[in-house]
Amino acid sequence: MTGDRHSASAAASNFKRRQLLQLMAGGGAAFSMAGLGAMPRAMAQSPASVAFWATATLDIGEKWAQFASQVGVAPEFTDNGNDVGPVLARLAAGNANELFDVGGFQGGAEKEMARQGVIIPWDLSKIPNYESIWQWAKDIPYLRQNGKQYSIPTVVNADSIIYRPDKLGKVDSYGVIFDKKLKGRVAMEDAWINSAIFTAMYLKESENKPIKDPGNLSESELGLVMEFLIKHKKDGQFRTFWNGWEQGVQLVADQEVDAMTGWEPIVYEGRKRGLQVEYAAPVEGYEGWGNNTVLLKGAGDRGVTDAAHTFVNGLLAGLYGCELGKSRGYLVPTDNNVAYAKKNPSEYKPEEVQALGDHVKAKFAGKVYWQNCRPDNFQLYEEWWQKLRNA
Amino acid sequence: MNRRLPPAFALMALPLLAILVLGFLPLMVVVVWSVWTWDPLTYWIRPDFNLGSYAAILEAGRWMVIVSTLGKALLTALICLLIGWPTAYAVHFLAGRRLSLILLALMTVPFFTSYLIRSFSWRLVLGRTGVVNDLLIHLGLLSAPLDWLLFSNFAVLVGLVASCLPFATFPLLLSMRRVDPVLLVAAEDLGAGFWTRLSTIVVPLTMPGIFAGFLFVFVMVVGSSTEVQMLGGAGASIVSVMINDVMRVANYPLAFAISSVVLLVIFSVVLAGNARFGLARLFGEGQS
Repeated sequence: MTGDRHSASAAASNFKRRQLLQLMAGGGAAFSMAGLGAMPRAMAQSPASVAFWATATLDIGEKWAQFASQVGVAPEFTDNGNDVGPVLARLAAGNANELFDVGGFQGGAEKEMARQGVIIPWDLSKIPNYESIWQWAKDIPYLRQNGKQYSIPTVVNADSIIYRPDKLGKVDSYGVIFDKKLKGRVAMEDAWINSAIFTAMYLKESENKPIKDPGNLSESELGLVMEFLIKHKKDGQFRTFWNGWEQGVQLVADQEVDAMTGWEPIVYEGRKRGLQVEYAAPVEGYEGWGNNTVLLKGAGDRGVTDAAHTFVNGLLAGLYGCELGKSRGYLVPTDNNVAYAKKNPSEYKPEEVQALGDHVKAKFAGKVYWQNCRPDNFQLYEEWWQKLRNA
Repeated sequence: MNRRLPPAFALMALPLLAILVLGFLPLMVVVVWSVWTWDPLTYWIRPDFNLGSYAAILEAGRWMVIVSTLGKALLTALICLLIGWPTAYAVHFLAGRRLSLILLALMTVPFFTSYLIRSFSWRLVLGRTGVVNDLLIHLGLLSAPLDWLLFSNFAVLVGLVASCLPFATFPLLLSMRRVDPVLLVAAEDLGAGFWTRLSTIVVPLTMPGIFAGFLFVFVMVVGSSTEVQMLGGAGASIVSVMINDVMRVANYPLAFAISSVVLLVIFSVVLAGNARFGLARLFGEGQS
């Protein structure tokens, strides 16, 4: 009886929440469906739903309907803005846990979120597809806290340097970014989350500086890295610090820079525009990043954790990986993508799905340092970034 | 007179309430929260009085960002006035009715697109392979592109002036409509030349418009970020960018302290300017 009451209350709470979300996001569509008389039938047959609050690039749009029919759980996607600062604030001090069941966040904040009690551990026995995840992705350092599995690696890739071989020849080191001969012809990202780790990797691997973990710098290590960046900035080394996809593409396409740290899709876009652009495999390694799926505490409060587990299992089942790879070049780290493509060759080309997986796997076969959106000294990172800006 | 007070008061109540609730209250919240303390346990602020955030403004060069933002705002506003005043004069006094309408319409054209696109398009104009460098090289005036045209303070100023110019021009036009042409004719009849009429009649009478235009641009630049992020050099900053950086690491009291300092500066400028130039005259009161 208690269980029934709990379920009924959770369902009622869930319904109110969904109503609110529908009113905010899709009221018009709901009204038009109701007008066509489709609403009652749709509601009668609709699968369980899960409110998925994630980075916008994880949205597969209209394909969610196909996903729902295969998995039995219909996700309601909401963009979280990607910036983990406001996300954490809304989870800890706002209403995010009232509204959302599952989060898709940049890796690194799990420790903080678990400490705050805003996320709860996954039960891996309810996610059979977890076994199919490649081992190196299972080994991402942020997934487990205090022996419990708090996040599932759902999307992974690794970043390095975009460069023009016609100007620079073959580039295989972050040293190119700090090469005086390229003064004013290089750029980095306008974010400490990326630029500090790239610099730390270079200093650790090529300059033998005493840096333990480039993704989580101590106070003295951070000082060393940032002083190095400040010196190069003062020397006029950087053309600019870039921000966002369009700016990144423009820097390459309009030949503003010959090399810059950044995302691999910019290389593909540059090539589309007829430019000779390459993506380096640096000796210092790649900056690995993961967008991990977490179970929000609110899902537990509302009793929808089973649906959430089914949903995450579905993310790893193949369709989601194939679609995300096709639309954005992102990788879900499992062989289920290729298996799904082979079963559905009219939908996805198995050889393309295989090639994407092999390409990313090759990056992770070498040295990789994981991006960390919440290093222990995160407020100190901001302070140093201000010093860099003002240098 | 007294009998008319209640309906007048009733009419005033709603806008007054709107100003208090939508304008004054949030500003007060910002000021109060700026002296509270951030609690890493709850990820929120608690009401423990603390001036640490104001002290932090003096660290990491944050005060320099505030000063340079005010400098950019001042310079942009002055440039906009230097361009906007003759433009408004030409539109109002020299152009015919049809031409002035066309000119006014042209001024609004840039606003048909988003501010993001407007700023981004300057990268295509000022870049190494942009229109300006291409033209100069084509004309044989340069052998290599000028790097400082883009990702520099120059580029930021160009972007800001282009974005803000209409906000200076329209108040100036409004103020010029308050200049009685009879005064100018009389002055001319008495032998005053063009520059004398300009400096002794038109400029003094358009002072409220000059200050209003200045204020609009000044405030807009203080609150802007796109132009600096798109056109500025490596790590270029402005107050809004700095507040974003600080919010990203959840340092809310510091973000509110920076906002409070900027608010104080803006209020001071408004009050001082209003006392000196009388903004109300722009709308017809206290016409001299």
